[in-house]
Amino acid sequence: MVEIDRLISESLKGDKHAVARLISIVERGLEPTPYILEKIYPHSGSAYYIGVTGPPGSGKSTIVDKLVKLFCNNHYSVGVIAVDPCSPFSGGALLGDRIRMNKRQKEWDVFFRSMSAGRVMGGLARTTKESSRILDASGKQIIIIETVGVGQSELDIAQATDTVIVILTPESGDNVQLMKAGLMEIADLFVVNKADRPGAENISLSIEAMLDRQRGKMEWKPPVILTSASLDRGIDDLYEEIWRHSRYLKQDDKLKNRRKTQLKDELKQRIESEILNVLWQKIHGNAVIDDLMDDIWEQRIDPQTAASKVVRNWLKD
Amino acid sequence: MSEEAKNAKCLFSEEHVRLIKENYDDWFKNCLRDDDRAMEGKYFTHSGIPVKLIYTPADTEDIHYMEDLGFSGKPPYVRGVYANMYRGRLFTVRQLAGLGAPEDCNKRVKYLLDHGATGVSILFDLPTIRGYNSDDPEAEGNVGQCGAAVDSIWDIDAFFADIDLGTVSTSIVTHLPSTSLVIPGMYFAVAEQRGTPITKLAGTCQNDFIMETCVGSAPEILPPSVSFRMQCDVVEWICKNVPRWNPISFNGYNLREAGTNAITEVGIAVANAIATSEELIKRGMKFDDFAPRMSFFWDLHNDFFEEIAKCRASRKIWYKIAKERFGAKNEKSLLMRFHVQTAGVTLPSTEPLNNIGRSAIQGLAAVFGGCQSLHLDSYDEAYSAPTEEAALVSLRTQQIIQTETGVVNTVDPLAGSYYLEYLTEEMTKRVFAYVENIEAMGGLVSAVESGWLHREISNYNNKYQKDIETGAMKVVGVNFMKSEDANITPIEVFEYPETYRRQKAKLKRLRKERDNQKVKGCIKILREKCHSKENLFPYCMDAVKNLVTHGEIAEVFREEFGLWPFPLIS
Amino acid sequence: MERKIRVVMAKLGLDIHWRGVYLVSQFLKDAGMEVIYLGNKFPEQIVEAAIEEDADVVGLSTLGGNHLALGPKVVNLLKKKGMDKIKVFMGGVIPPKHIPLLKKKGIYEIYGPDTPMEVIIKGISDSVSVN
Repeated sequence: MVEIDRLISESLKGDKHAVARLISIVERGLEPTPYILEKIYPHSGSAYYIGVTGPPGSGKSTIVDKLVKLFCNNHYSVGVIAVDPCSPFSGGALLGDRIRMNKRQKEWDVFFRSMSAGRVMGGLARTTKESSRILDASGKQIIIIETVGVGQSELDIAQATDTVIVILTPESGDNVQLMKAGLMEIADLFVVNKADRPGAENISLSIEAMLDRQRGKMEWKPPVILTSASLDRGIDDLYEEIWRHSRYLKQDDKLKNRRKTQLKDELKQRIESEILNVLWQKIHGNAVIDDLMDDIWEQRIDPQTAASKVVRNWLKD
Repeated sequence: MSEEAKNAKCLFSEEHVRLIKENYDDWFKNCLRDDDRAMEGKYFTHSGIPVKLIYTPADTEDIHYMEDLGFSGKPPYVRGVYANMYRGRLFTVRQLAGLGAPEDCNKRVKYLLDHGATGVSILFDLPTIRGYNSDDPEAEGNVGQCGAAVDSIWDIDAFFADIDLGTVSTSIVTHLPSTSLVIPGMYFAVAEQRGTPITKLAGTCQNDFIMETCVGSAPEILPPSVSFRMQCDVVEWICKNVPRWNPISFNGYNLREAGTNAITEVGIAVANAIATSEELIKRGMKFDDFAPRMSFFWDLHNDFFEEIAKCRASRKIWYKIAKERFGAKNEKSLLMRFHVQTAGVTLPSTEPLNNIGRSAIQGLAAVFGGCQSLHLDSYDEAYSAPTEEAALVSLRTQQIIQTETGVVNTVDPLAGSYYLEYLTEEMTKRVFAYVENIEAMGGLVSAVESGWLHREISNYNNKYQKDIETGAMKVVGVNFMKSEDANITPIEVFEYPETYRRQKAKLKRLRKERDNQKVKGCIKILREKCHSKENLFPYCMDAVKNLVTHGEIAEVFREEFGLWPFPLIS
Repeated sequence: MERKIRVVMAKLGLDIHWRGVYLVSQFLKDAGMEVIYLGNKFPEQIVEAAIEEDADVVGLSTLGGNHLALGPKVVNLLKKKGMDKIKVFMGGVIPPKHIPLLKKKGIYEIYGPDTPMEVIIKGISDSVSVN
């Protein structure tokens, strides 16, 4: 553990190499992972977490790059985790969010990590959260998590961040899509990017209309911000709105409550997951299934009754 | 054409065609073996046009000679843009110059001119093409490599020291519109300073926004719509002010080399020409004002007959567009003139001498295709600029084609080949369909911005790679007839380390000697004009006259227009 | 869980040719690797990425003649940051006579234009197992 302890202490001091290594270990779920998480956790919690999501081609990466620039120019240290899908066939991934990154100034404190939404033990949500805590503990004041999400069950970005930004473009005109994806519920800020294209006003009004219909249920009304990220337009407004949302959350313990709810959910998920693992091992789950298959196939018993039987047997033990 | 002429029978009588068809069926059933019949339908040209085992007049029965082929120098120009073709003027052989510092290039240019060249093509190094000065950090490692380093008007002046600009034809290979706004302006300004009116200057610049946004990647790229605007600015200004200059050459070559087939190559170039024409007409110009000065640049790839068909079809396609879509009145507007370069991408580094054969065959196809000028790649193409020996072999090969083979003595000698005429018709149809598809997407600029063209290129490369690896596509010496003990031919490399130091010193001196107040003023005006609808060319020219550097102008563009993220295709 | 090889791929400096590096990146992804594609970047940015992404391998692509100036620069910067375990590969048009020189300066392997994909994939995989 000596090596791990060294990595942890270096990471807490902000050493990039150490942070990168810890994230790799945790991402792969290697043996030192629980130890690392245990040691890191008390040092996390001071960063502000921003989630950025939207369909492919919406310009998320460009917007993230511009935000990083703004935060850094205002002397904040920033950590970014960019999540991209992985190939369902090979498990490999082509992660291209760094392409959008322009040159950094020497005095900036930025850490950017690309991750693939792959077949990772425990699901993506966990490793992204854990990695973001490592960045948090290393001293980053702002953490940005960027993901392609239109209702991806794997990463519940609202579960992992304080402010959620949903990015759309004039081409995302399908209202039904928006509602199906659940984006309306999770967004704290809406951005219509590539607003120099026709249709920007339209979609902006559509969103406002939908929000108005839900007005009674909402305390915070998500603003709709028009941007043209590659032309540097609207980013200052977005920046201001992020701060406005954070100020709103910081009143009356709203941020604290939000985070507590998130932690509760996380705890619940972890407990459920661990119980499931342990239980499955205990009842030799796979063997049990194989045993029952013949009966189910020959229709001597239905799947629902079979499952209840297994659980009741275990409970008896 | 009179009704009578239109209704005149096609090349072969109906009875004869029927007879041929009957005999074809008989031949197919009885003369071919089972496996021959099984393989029919499995052969295609490189771009996917089906190829039958035999072609007969039955395959060209609908061709009306006068309407579809005609004579050389007359619509639809399939047989050639000029009546006398190579008897009147042999295809020109261009010599490239451009390596290192402008002072070195000057020596090479003088040498070529002394040895009878009337035209010179100048290549530039990457920092110059992409808008960085030689002393910018981005230029590191690339100054003077593969081309001349040009930072300011002083460099163009040095490049052409003691040369009368009024008597040479210069091809300034700037590639990108943003660079074409600046470097030609330096050339024109130098001529003016020397007392040569710009109306006397002859030459071309390439100026293609596809080059800026698709063909090559870069750390900082301008948005396609901006690059396209600049492309049109260059054409507009030069057409109005420099009558003997060709302000645009639609570049099919580099796109093809990036990874596309013949149909995409021609389709994109033609779509670009259409978009440019429409924009210029919107700006108040007449089609005949600029169309005669548009030219094209084709690649000459491996599929011998397909490439010839492509060349012939391209002339017909342009004629139809110019005449029917844009209502051209000037005959010169109807002519598609093109330069050809043989395909570098087909020349592997393994057993490089094989490439002499490849280039010769491709060069021959270019001549059968009726090109106006030809550059034959040298056998070491895969390794940057040619050695003198390799360059000489290329030159000699072209001269052999011109003087020993006799193919230049008659116009379009392969016309009438049933296979070739079938391919020419197919090519024409497919390219038109491709262009229509682009229009349906909202035009070429939108298609590029959406990443569609990059995806086309990426998909093509994927398929090509898989074909090479499975052996579906054979490359002699590489995956077919691979020699166990293939020697690696030693390849020369040109290095010009001096260039960086000299350019850096020159820039230091320039910044000291120039009127920096004037420089600030020019830059301020340029920034404003970027957001106006005015033509940027004269403001750039004014800036370079006041010793604003190329890098400074390019930086203004990047800051005012923003950068465009190069599409990533997974 | 099974370790995925992480490769940082970049076009070196101003070099414009992207067909090759895209192709290789896609093939590496199909072989199960995680490819962090940077596009055109300069040595400092490439090394920054290699560190933050905890890369196993850095792949540099160039056909533009800047291989001698910038390739070894990447190697040296990695060394300076204590990251010499990262193997640096180069691909593109590199004159054969420069290959021994580049290797001497720390470039692990160089793949010329006709190198089959499987050779590249194997070369990268093997270099990581050597660790």
